[in-house]
Amino acid sequence: MSGHGGWWGRRRNRQLALIVCFLLPSLIVFFLYRLLPLGWNVILSFQAWSPLKPAVWIGLEHYAEMWTYDDTFWIALKNTLIFIAASPLAIAAALGVALLVNSDLKGATVYRTIVFLSYPLMAVAVGIIWRWMYDERGGIINFALRSSGLIAKPIGFLQDFSWALPSVIVAEVWQMIGFYMIILLTGLQSIPQNLYEAARIDGAPAVARFFRITLPMLRPSLFLCVVVGILNSFSSFDLVYIMTNGGPGHATELLITHIYKSAFEQTKFDYAAALTVVQFALLLLLTVAANKGAGGNAGAVERD
Amino acid sequence: MATVSLRQVRKSYDAQEVVHGVDLEVADQEFVVLVGPSGCGKSTLLRMIAGLEDISGGEIAIGERVVNEIDPKDRDVAMVFQDYALYPHLTVFQNIAFSLQYRGVGKAEIARRVAEAAAILDIESLLERKPRQLSGGQRQRVAMGRAIVREPKVFLFDEPLSNLDAKLRVQMRTEIKKLRERVRTTAIYVTHDQVEAMTLADRIVLMHNGRVEQIGTPEDVYDEPATLFVAGFVGASAMNLVAGRIETGAQGCGVNLGGESRLALPPGRYDAHVGMSVTVGLRPEHLHWAGDSAASMLAGAARVVEPLGSDTLVIFDVAGHELQARLPPRVVRRGGDPVRVAIAPESIHIFDPATERRL
Ligand SMILES: Nc1ncnc2c1ncn2[C@@H]1O[C@H](COP(=O)(O)OP(=O)(O)OP(=O)(O)O)[C@@H](O)[C@H]1O
Ligand SMILES: [Mg+2]
Repeated sequence: MSGHGGWWGRRRNRQLALIVCFLLPSLIVFFLYRLLPLGWNVILSFQAWSPLKPAVWIGLEHYAEMWTYDDTFWIALKNTLIFIAASPLAIAAALGVALLVNSDLKGATVYRTIVFLSYPLMAVAVGIIWRWMYDERGGIINFALRSSGLIAKPIGFLQDFSWALPSVIVAEVWQMIGFYMIILLTGLQSIPQNLYEAARIDGAPAVARFFRITLPMLRPSLFLCVVVGILNSFSSFDLVYIMTNGGPGHATELLITHIYKSAFEQTKFDYAAALTVVQFALLLLLTVAANKGAGGNAGAVERD
Repeated sequence: MATVSLRQVRKSYDAQEVVHGVDLEVADQEFVVLVGPSGCGKSTLLRMIAGLEDISGGEIAIGERVVNEIDPKDRDVAMVFQDYALYPHLTVFQNIAFSLQYRGVGKAEIARRVAEAAAILDIESLLERKPRQLSGGQRQRVAMGRAIVREPKVFLFDEPLSNLDAKLRVQMRTEIKKLRERVRTTAIYVTHDQVEAMTLADRIVLMHNGRVEQIGTPEDVYDEPATLFVAGFVGASAMNLVAGRIETGAQGCGVNLGGESRLALPPGRYDAHVGMSVTVGLRPEHLHWAGDSAASMLAGAARVVEPLGSDTLVIFDVAGHELQARLPPRVVRRGGDPVRVAIAPESIHIFDPATERRL
């Protein structure tokens, strides 16, 4: 072969090989722990299988059962959707905080840190803290409500059927607000200041500046928050597990806790696999839709 | 149609004062250029006129009205920013129409005025594009369009051309000049490029360290720079500034640059300063080739010769000073050649080195 011929001689191929070398370790991990289980999971959902028996192909039977007989599935689905629906509220609240912290408010950096601090806390810790705060007898929330005379009898926030889900959502929102705020703050700070100056000279009042500059420029950051919120609603297993374990009854059951219980408490791994496929499909659908809404670039910043 | 008056305008950031009492009267329809080196306070001054910065002291009036406490939107000024500040998510049309929507202008009227501005600036075909789909020069035009649809009392420009490459800058400079013939509005234009200032301005305001050094027409500041700073700043090639002494002799009053080098001064003009040590300013383009017989001339040896085509820049040594002269081509060919130059007495600038002011 000539001096600069050959596969290795080409610059493009050399670069390609280098890129593959760097990517390979994470690709292997991704394949082993993500794609492979997912694939096996899909196959399993069409089979009747329990650890000691050979697998039998049963087609869509699990899905039919889910659709017609499993009331818990429908409750869990509804609760998961409510969980997702709560994230825009959290994002709106986070936007408010981000706007405040981004102004020349005194001590803004301190507030920013305090608000963000909730996010790196372990969900287990958050669950325990909130469970303690919600407690019927010794909880600080009941104490505050009773001593201010708002209620006469303590509320069992996590024991009451109608209070349980909102209470868990509040804890979840509390933890996520810090994260949303940081994302939105970064978005806010990447909006060039002179756009606001130009708009002030152009005569746009503060409200118009918010709706015509801040919001549109923040769209990618907002949608990134939405996507994270959706992902998070599907995976906030730890918080719910610690706070209520899906109870009382199935009042706080999410798809993820339902999957867990089906698999590890009732050892119906095959059925849990079918549930997982449904959850995965739903997740994929919502995420793609959210990313579409962001113009296909959630998290990116629009520049001129 | 409006005048702009600045009276003892000051600006401090915390304890640091960066603009120290600027006085300026801009006439109706006048095009005034603020020029000076980076950090001298030009943008700060402009932003105070726009209302984007508080005024720490003094008074700014647009027309008859003092605007110190008036909101930017009510000052009826339009500003073109250095990086254009176009709204990235809006089309060119929406960018240009933006301000009109907040001034109670009807839809049809907006469409008409945007079309008119677009025609003036030759950007009619770009109206549906987003800013990121435009070249630098096109964005520049859109930014201008956004200012002219407003039909404001005053235009403010903050280095609008400095983000363009050299060629486009020259082209846009000419365009602004043409635009100015069509849209006669009071304008204040900030730049640190003295060529831009000279070519565009009705009057130039030279700023240095937060102070005004000189206000005058481009000819004024070129012909009679009031301070050493202005002398060094204005002019295509930098003025030669050398130490000398004023003396009087048989041939009348002159300035001695050391050794045998002596230049005649206009008769009578500097009689009061005989014996004084001064700084002498000689523009390279005013030094001309001298015949052998000339009495008042500088003789030295060329160090560097830079042919520029139309003329040649010669750097030469005289009495321990390094001077530059713009001479006709081929008079001096290479380093080491003898150089003999003279200058008309009235083209010599004399400054007091202590006060740095013109004598
Ligand atoms: N927000 C601020 N806080 C403190 N100092 C500032 C602020 N803005 C400007 N300055 C100072 O004020 C001085 C004048 O700044 P200004 O921006 O007006 O300069 P300029 O003449 O426009 O320079 P350039 O040609 O680089 O744009 C500078 O010394 C700058 O450091
Ligand atoms: Mg500036």
